[in-house]
Amino acid sequence: MGYEMWAEKYRPKSLNDMVDQTEIVERLKSFVKAKNVPHCIFAGPPGTGKTTAALCLAHDLYGVGYREHLMELNASDERGINVVRETVKTFARTRTIGEVPFKLLILDEADNMTGDAQQALRRTMERFTETARFILIANYSGKIIEPIQSRCAPFRFTHLSREDTLNRLRQICEKENVKLLDDGMDAILEVSEGDLRRATNTLQAAASLGKPINAETVYSVIGRASPADVREMIVLAMKGDFIGAREKLREMILKYGVAGSDIIKQIHIEIFRLEIPERWKIKLADVIGEADFRLVQGADEEVQLSALLARLTEAGYEMRKGG
Amino acid sequence: MHTPWTEKHKPKTLLEIVGNREAIRKLKEWVKSWDTEVPKKRAAFLYGPPGIGKTLCVEALANDLNLEFVEKNASDYRTAEAIEQFAGRASQYDTLFGKKRLILLDELDGITGTEDRGGVKAITEIIKATKCPIVLVANDVYDPRFSTLRQYCFLIKFEKPSLYEVARHLDKICRREGIWAEERALKFIAEKNGGDVRSAVNDLQALAQGRNKLSYEDVAWLAERDRKEVIFNVLKTIFYSRNCLDAKRAIDAADVDPDMLFEWIYENAPFHMRDPHDLAKAMEALALADLYRGRIRSTQDWTLLRYVYDFMTAGIAVSRERTKPEWVPFKFPERIRMLSWTKSEREMQSQIGMKIKKKCHVSSVRAVKEIIPYLKVIFENNAEMASGLAKWLDLDEEMVEYLTESK
Repeated sequence: MGYEMWAEKYRPKSLNDMVDQTEIVERLKSFVKAKNVPHCIFAGPPGTGKTTAALCLAHDLYGVGYREHLMELNASDERGINVVRETVKTFARTRTIGEVPFKLLILDEADNMTGDAQQALRRTMERFTETARFILIANYSGKIIEPIQSRCAPFRFTHLSREDTLNRLRQICEKENVKLLDDGMDAILEVSEGDLRRATNTLQAAASLGKPINAETVYSVIGRASPADVREMIVLAMKGDFIGAREKLREMILKYGVAGSDIIKQIHIEIFRLEIPERWKIKLADVIGEADFRLVQGADEEVQLSALLARLTEAGYEMRKGG
Repeated sequence: MHTPWTEKHKPKTLLEIVGNREAIRKLKEWVKSWDTEVPKKRAAFLYGPPGIGKTLCVEALANDLNLEFVEKNASDYRTAEAIEQFAGRASQYDTLFGKKRLILLDELDGITGTEDRGGVKAITEIIKATKCPIVLVANDVYDPRFSTLRQYCFLIKFEKPSLYEVARHLDKICRREGIWAEERALKFIAEKNGGDVRSAVNDLQALAQGRNKLSYEDVAWLAERDRKEVIFNVLKTIFYSRNCLDAKRAIDAADVDPDMLFEWIYENAPFHMRDPHDLAKAMEALALADLYRGRIRSTQDWTLLRYVYDFMTAGIAVSRERTKPEWVPFKFPERIRMLSWTKSEREMQSQIGMKIKKKCHVSSVRAVKEIIPYLKVIFENNAEMASGLAKWLDLDEEMVEYLTESK
């Protein structure tokens, strides 16, 4: 059995090992060849290889000792202007020795940076372009301010195909000596929705049970491992189960420590994906926006989001009546 | 993991019993006196308030003196025949291996109603003739039903242990559970339960299980529990008033901490506003009250407090337009409980998140959401993989324990 998280153990080390996102990989390879990299934005859903591609690029660019030329920052943990000012500046300021005349700075989850921090980042990027190149990683490139976007080469990562995920899981199973039955494989593919990290973690957790993996194993693992998700909460509220929805909300905030603002963001996205009359979507956007604004004003996250859920319950009721 | 602490940390010997040293001494001497001759009173009657260790004391005694122990309680006292059947026989015959026998008839207060008529009498008869010590336990020895029975019994009074003794007992449990507890917190729990050790231990478990620290702040909300009645009345007025003034007055009627009252209203509103329109209005009223609280925080202008009150009282009252009044029991604000419960859990998670971050190229926030849940599954099921991962991630013992044992 592996003594690492498999998602790390089997993370490709070089661009040559990456099987998916082929067009992106080709372009990145051409950067390596030219020994020049522009500032980049890697945008796309989770588990599609953004961080991996950035690390592989660094590896291929600098060779084995690539860590010395690389700095990884995570905006979710280190948001705020000061980090950008200080850490990034200190790193970006000094020149690197070697064939490639610049360092690489990977800023993960950059869409979580505040607007001010992004403004500061933009100036830093300009000032140190000669000595440092930035790769911003984000789920939604729309959350990155325009001036930064225009300075970066955009790369749009897409969900992994079923085929690619399947092949990757098969390889891991072979190396780890894990028996994955067909229905187990289908279940993993279904629940992971093209997110390879999620698929790999699910596989490893299922394998830890120590028996051949079938669909049932996978669902029991997922049942225990998925924090309540926003969509589920919305559906509950709209079905009329406000109390159930509020419990989910509580679990997210108190147990998993999800920020209220993140939950609102997610609700906003999900509302537009719901199969409800179009005019309702825009009505609800107003309610969501109001709640969002109140949170900014320092109101209590759970109370405000509960009021929002109650509005969803009311909306669901009216829609069922044909309103 | 889920055994009640009252069981798990049950005293096994008399030395561990909380308080009542004098009563224990008397009981022990009386039982020992059977070795020389059958004493005048063939039964001992232990009485006193619930939860202070009367039954435990008898069990521990049987254990200490290595006696065969026969125990019966209320449900066995259905009829005189039933009592006769077990107690009569047990009191007359020798044990299989020549051990001395001790019979405990617990929860004697449980004998009630016509069905049990004759029950007390049957017990009295058995005591008159018993060949081994019988111990009776009840809360109130002066219940008229026991007036005859009493004459045949050696009465031993059990008293509530002192606050200090209860707190010390709680502290002992905390040590065994690996919980660091603030003395003030334990005293508080002891005080709340007024000498009832059993309910104090239950409270301790509810408050402390799964954490490694218990501070005064973690338990202080218990104080609210006693004020239930007061709060229930306020809630009733707020939820069911027909006009603003009545609802607003409710808050003056009782001296309740407004933030705590807000939590009560917020917890219970959805249960009393079943109609979706009423619900939406009520929750919006609370959201507005909360918004004004936020404004007070940021401006420090406390005159705004009147609007907070408006929305959380009158705002709720006028929300009810369609929901029909029905009686629904009020619930303690769950989120207050959860907040103190999960505080240490969240700290632990974010520490583990930091460790994962070092290895897995994700933020610690994301690690908590996306990786820890899988680790929990692995740690619960596969010790080998778990210990490998623990080494790889450089987790300390406490973290491993958290991942292995949290549900």
